[in-house]
Amino acid sequence: MSSRRNRIADRVFKLWAIGCTLIGIIMLGIFLVNIAIDGLGRIDWDFITSLPSRKAEKAGIYVALLGTVWILVLTAIIAIPVGVAAGIYLEEYGKKSRFASILEINITNLAGVPSIIYGILGLEVFVRTFGLGKSVIAGALTLSLLILPIIIVATREALKAVPKTLREASFALGATKWQTVSKQVLPAASGGIVTGVILAISRAIGETAPLILVGAIVYLNKPPQTPLDQYSVLPMQIFNWISRPEQEFSVNAAAAIIILLLVTFVMNGIAIYLRYRWQRKVKW
Amino acid sequence: MSHKLTTQDVHVWYGSFHALKGVTLSVKPNTVTAFIGPSGCGKSTFLRLFNRMNDYIEGFHMGGEIIIDGRNIYGKRILVEELRKEVGMVFQKPNPFPKSIYDNVVYGLQIQGINDKHVLEEACETSLKQAALWNEVKDNLKKSALALSGGQQQRLCIARTLAVKPTMILMDEPASALDPISTAKIEELILELKSQYTIVIVTHNMQQAARISDRTAFFYLGELIEYDKTVNIFTNPKEEKTQSYITGRFG
Amino acid sequence: MSQIDNPVHNIKSALDQMFDLVTMQLTKSKDALAGFDKDLAREVIQIEKRVNGQELQIDRVAENFIALYSPVAIDLRFVLAALKINNNLERIGDIAEGISKYINETNSPLDATLMEESNVMPMYEAALRMLKEVHEAYEKEDTSIARKIFKSDDYLDHINAEAITNLTHAANGDASKLSDALYIISIIRKLERIGDQLKNIAEEIIFYIEAKVLKHVKPK
Repeated sequence: MSSRRNRIADRVFKLWAIGCTLIGIIMLGIFLVNIAIDGLGRIDWDFITSLPSRKAEKAGIYVALLGTVWILVLTAIIAIPVGVAAGIYLEEYGKKSRFASILEINITNLAGVPSIIYGILGLEVFVRTFGLGKSVIAGALTLSLLILPIIIVATREALKAVPKTLREASFALGATKWQTVSKQVLPAASGGIVTGVILAISRAIGETAPLILVGAIVYLNKPPQTPLDQYSVLPMQIFNWISRPEQEFSVNAAAAIIILLLVTFVMNGIAIYLRYRWQRKVKW
Repeated sequence: MSHKLTTQDVHVWYGSFHALKGVTLSVKPNTVTAFIGPSGCGKSTFLRLFNRMNDYIEGFHMGGEIIIDGRNIYGKRILVEELRKEVGMVFQKPNPFPKSIYDNVVYGLQIQGINDKHVLEEACETSLKQAALWNEVKDNLKKSALALSGGQQQRLCIARTLAVKPTMILMDEPASALDPISTAKIEELILELKSQYTIVIVTHNMQQAARISDRTAFFYLGELIEYDKTVNIFTNPKEEKTQSYITGRFG
Repeated sequence: MSQIDNPVHNIKSALDQMFDLVTMQLTKSKDALAGFDKDLAREVIQIEKRVNGQELQIDRVAENFIALYSPVAIDLRFVLAALKINNNLERIGDIAEGISKYINETNSPLDATLMEESNVMPMYEAALRMLKEVHEAYEKEDTSIARKIFKSDDYLDHINAEAITNLTHAANGDASKLSDALYIISIIRKLERIGDQLKNIAEEIIFYIEAKVLKHVKPK
C-alpha cells in the first residue's frame, strides 16, 4: 500500500520538476518569439552594415557590432594569458605559500563583485590614471578584469580535473615541473580551459554597465581603427534604441538583440562542442 | 656483492603523523624485493622515498639516509630529475598519458631533449619488446594508449619506464587493478626484467610476493617487522606478527 | 610456460631421481642376495644415506612450493601426491637396506634349495619390475600402467601366502636350515611390503592425474 503511495509521490515530484524546468524554457521561448516577431523582419545586410542614424529605418549596427568585436578580441588577448597563467600558478605552483592563499581569497572575492564596481575601477585606473580615455583598450582592460576571475577559476577547475596519476607518471620519468605542466597537464586540461574561456568571453559580450562608466559612446559614426579610438558596443546600442520613444527604434533594438543573442549562442555552442570533443578524446 | 640500495634508520613524518619509524634494510642488485603489510603500514611511503615521489606531499619530511648506488639521494647535490631517470616507477593504476602509444614510450626521452626520430623509434621498439607488448601494438603505434586494455596499459607504463633506461624499478601494486591473466603476464615480466634491473615491489597480494620476490619485507604500523628471504618469510617467519599477517590471522 | 610450471618441474625431476636411487638400491640388493655379495650389500646401505637426503630435499621443495605458489587443482594434487610418493619410495629404500643387512649378518650364502623352493628370487624380480612400471607410469603420467600394479601385486601376495608351506616342505625337518629359512621368510615378508608401497604409489599417481581416490576402496 505504502509503495503505491510512494509511486504516486514519485510521479507528482517528477511532474513538478518538469513544470519548474518548463517555466524557464517557456519564459525564454516567449521572449525569443516576441523578439523574433518584432525584429526578424528588420534584419538584412543593410541593417548590419549601416552606420547609426537619427532615422530609425536608416540606422544600422555596423559601428556597435565592430566595437563589440574589437572589445572581444582585445579582452581575449589580455584576459586569456593572464587568467590562464594565474590559474596555473595557483593550482600547480603556489599551493603552499601564504601569498598564494591571500591571492586565492581575493580572486574568489573578485568573482562576487558587481560589474558596475569594475566599471568604476576601470574609470579610475585605466581612463583617468593611465590616461587611456574613452578608448577601446580601456574598455577591454575593464572587461578583462571582470572576466579574469572566471577564467582563473575555470582554469583551476580544469587543471584539478587532470588526475594526479598523470602528473606522477610524468615526474617519475624525470620530467621537471614545467615540463609536466606544459606537456601533460595543460594539454589534458585544455578542453576545460577553452570552455571556461569561451563562457567568460560570452559573458563579456553582454556586459553594459561597466562600459557605460568607462565611456562606450552611444552615437558614433565610425568604428574604431586603433585600440585608442572611441567605440560603441551592441548592448549600448540596444540600450540606446530601447530608451527612445519611437516605435521604429524598438524594432531596431529587437533586431540588434537577435544579432547579440546569435553571437552568444554561437560562442556557447563552440564551448559545448569543444567540451564534448575533449570528453570523448580523453577518458580516465 | 655490494648493495644497490641501503636505507639507514629512515623516518618519515606527514605533519605530525609518524609514518615510518626507523627502517633499515638493504637490497641487492638484480633481485626482486617485495614489501608487504596491511594498508597504512608505510610500505608505499617507503617505496616512494626511493625516487623522491613523496617530495610533493604536504607536510612531508624525513630523517635517516637512503643510499642508491653509493649516493645519498636526499643529499644536497642530488637533482631529483636525474634520480628519477635512474629509479623508474610503475604505479598501481595504469596511467598512460592520453596520447599515442608511441608518444607515451618516448616521452621520457623527449623531455631529456632527445628528438632524433631514429633514436626514438628504436627506443620505442626495444622498450615495447622488453615489456612484452611489441607484438600486440606494433601495427598501431599511433593509436591512443587509452584504447588499450588495462593489462596492456600497465605493460605500456612499464615500457615507458624502461625507455629511460633506469637501473632500478619501483612498482607500487602494479597488478592490483588487473585481472588474473594480466597479472600473471606482469609477474612473468617482472621475473624477466630481474636479470637487468633491481626491482622493488609493493603488493597487497601475498601470493604475488611469494611467487616473484627473492626477499620480502613485512611492514606494520610504520615499522619494518621482518626482512628475510621470501622462502623463509613464507615457511618459517621469525616474528609472531609476520606469521599472523601472512596466515591471515591478523588483529 | 607459466611461472608455476617451473617449481612443478623441479619437484617432478627431484622425485624422478628418487625413483632412480631406490631402483638402484633394490636392484643392487637383489644382486647382492643372488650372488651373496657383501660389498654390494654395503653399497646399498651407503646409498640409503643419499635416499634419505633426497627425501628431505623433496619435502623441503614441496613445502616451499606450497608456501610460495599456493597451488590448486592439479598442481595441488601433484604436490600432495609427490609428498606421499616420496615417503613410500623412502620406505622401499629402507626395505632394500634391511635386506642388505641380512646379507651382511649371514656368514654363508643362503641355502640354494630353500631359495629355489620359496620363489624368493622370482618375487624379487617381480617387485623390481613393478617398481620400474610405477616409475614409468609416473614419468609418462599414464594411469593405465599404474593400474597394472594392482594385478602384479597379487602375484607377490600369492608367493608370500605360500612361503611358509613351501619353506617347511623344502626344509624337510632339517634343523640346520632353520636359520636360512627364517631369513628367507623375512625377506619375503619385506618384499610383500614393497608391493604394498608400490600399490600406494600407483594410487597416488592415479589420484593426481585423474583425481580419483582409490584408497580404502575394496576391489570387487
